[in-house]
Amino acid sequence: MTGAANCKAIPQDFMTSNDLKSLLNRRLLFVIGKGGVGKTAITESISRSLPGRVLWVSIEDPTRPPQEMKRLGANLWSLNASAGPSFAEYAELKIGARLLLHFFLQNRLVQYLATAAPGIRELVLLGKIWFERKNYDHVVIDMPSTGHGVAMFRSTRNFGNLFGSGPVHSDTEAMNSVFRDPEQTGILIVSLPEEMPLQESLELKDLLSDLFPKNEAALICNRRLPELREPPASSQSRNAKTAGAASAESALSPFALDSADYLWRKSRLERENLARLWDSRGLRYASLPFVAPEVGREHTHLVETLAARLQALREETAS
Amino acid sequence: MKRKILIHCGTGGVGKTTVSAARGLLSALRGDRAVVVTLDPAKRLATSLGLEGLGDHPTDLTPHLKVALQKLRSQGFDVPETVPGSLHALMPDTRRTFEQLVVDLGFSAEGAEKLIKNPIFEIFAREFSGTNEYMAVQRLHRLNRDPQFDRIILDTPPSRNTLDFLNAPKLLTRFYEEKALQWLLAPSSRLAAFGMHKALDALEKLTGGGFMTHLVGFVASLFEVQENFSKNLREVTALLEGPSTGFIMVASPAPEHVLEVSHFAEGITRRGYHFDGLILNRSLAHLGPLTGIPAVPAWDEARRILEGLQAREKRGLEALVHGAGIPDPILLPELARDVHSVEDLVHVAMALDRSSLGH
Repeated sequence: MTGAANCKAIPQDFMTSNDLKSLLNRRLLFVIGKGGVGKTAITESISRSLPGRVLWVSIEDPTRPPQEMKRLGANLWSLNASAGPSFAEYAELKIGARLLLHFFLQNRLVQYLATAAPGIRELVLLGKIWFERKNYDHVVIDMPSTGHGVAMFRSTRNFGNLFGSGPVHSDTEAMNSVFRDPEQTGILIVSLPEEMPLQESLELKDLLSDLFPKNEAALICNRRLPELREPPASSQSRNAKTAGAASAESALSPFALDSADYLWRKSRLERENLARLWDSRGLRYASLPFVAPEVGREHTHLVETLAARLQALREETAS
Repeated sequence: MKRKILIHCGTGGVGKTTVSAARGLLSALRGDRAVVVTLDPAKRLATSLGLEGLGDHPTDLTPHLKVALQKLRSQGFDVPETVPGSLHALMPDTRRTFEQLVVDLGFSAEGAEKLIKNPIFEIFAREFSGTNEYMAVQRLHRLNRDPQFDRIILDTPPSRNTLDFLNAPKLLTRFYEEKALQWLLAPSSRLAAFGMHKALDALEKLTGGGFMTHLVGFVASLFEVQENFSKNLREVTALLEGPSTGFIMVASPAPEHVLEVSHFAEGITRRGYHFDGLILNRSLAHLGPLTGIPAVPAWDEARRILEGLQAREKRGLEALVHGAGIPDPILLPELARDVHSVEDLVHVAMALDRSSLGH
């Protein structure tokens, strides 16, 4: 089955195509969320579906060489942004003079600061992305998982304050002004329809809104099960035995009876979680389908399906 | 031998907190005086356990556990009647643990004040990826001396790399070994001799005036307590390496976790720590064939997803057992709802018990 068939089963969501279009039109798009929510597949899908010259950035992916730049398509590049080389590039840009640069980069204290000092790594990584944006129409960033990702954004503020003057100070200020500008930068939080991820996304949204009050982060709920309306045989018979729906659920084992019971309860739980944590706050978000894993071509299938869904979301007429 | 301390490691989203809590509960049911150190439980779980707002102090959950057992028995579940041991839980407060550490390290009140007010320290304490890990170890160190408990179960903070937890003390040791930082504190004539002068000039030009002053102040503060710090590092390292501490990896049974799991098991053993096995949470293997479902497209799609996930789990298990050489992973079934009560935790503990997990 193709992605289009999957989409039919997805419940209507609250993010309009205009929201999504506006988000995807920005030069910089940071995609952030906790580990395992599917950021990599989503950033790849977005990168592949955007027009113009696109740079897809991963942050210090240990499976790739530092600062590796790969061409993935006619207009698509992929960069593995890494702190060490980014620091050296920045120093070269600012210091220029070869002899001094050599002294500087060979210095053990400087090396220590560049690779081990908390905050500086994050700052130079963001600096690299900020610098590269001039060479592309779109830069899509697969951010590290929540805590580390927020630390990256916070580094600009930390160092903006710490360095009262000088080139680093003015550069962090300039970076900040780009990141907080909704015309230039989009921030997308990816979540899953489970209690903890949904809750953590709310906290992440608050943290980000502290840093960038005028550039509200958008939300995507990934991996949604199809909405099951007809109960399976096993759940029907069991529910009949217990009185009152709410008390019945808590009197059951948290483990499912069988496969049908599992899917039925999971699908209901998802909707309850979203209703309680996101809908009740009037949040707008887009939903992406749970793409059934397919042996041998899991990755391409996932990316194709998500790209198709994103495209469909963009084309839907605004409600 | 029976371990006193069990440390659960793993990346986020695999139910590490639930597994740790259930493990503690099971210990209490088997007669241990157990304490669970949990870092970031879901809000509703914390509320239902009475942990919210209590933080750093061990809370006695044994009465809650007794009530839960009674309730479950009345609902017809086969659970133990009594709790031969006891169960406490706590959420360490990183800031408080840190303040305690500063006192333990022998800073003068004035020295501590100076350190805490240094802006570099502020960034360091917040952004250094090992701070939470290191503070959790400190809390463990203190609990280990508390005669109230004979079993400590630790749920480690979520991190990108599961070995971060063990690297944190080493990263701090590196700080003291870094000669370059010691040069910073040397008289300026010696700085020039090492060719530092030019480099520091360039650094100062980039960063503006204040930075170097703060940096020197920060480094000086830490070197002031080097001896005590090193002693503390030796103690916590000995605690983690000792035979009374075991490490357990919590993961989900997916092929993409295989590399991480084998990397963890290998890294733990190579560093001289004790690897006590693998718990694969959120397994779907137990669910059996999908029958009795309505003939509608949504259910068909749900079937494809479930079957795809089950096939993926099978491949993941094969890769773990044959590829990574981890012979007996414990499979813990995926829950059909979030854990919100002590009763739910008892259910999970019973599932762990059925899997005859380490005694």
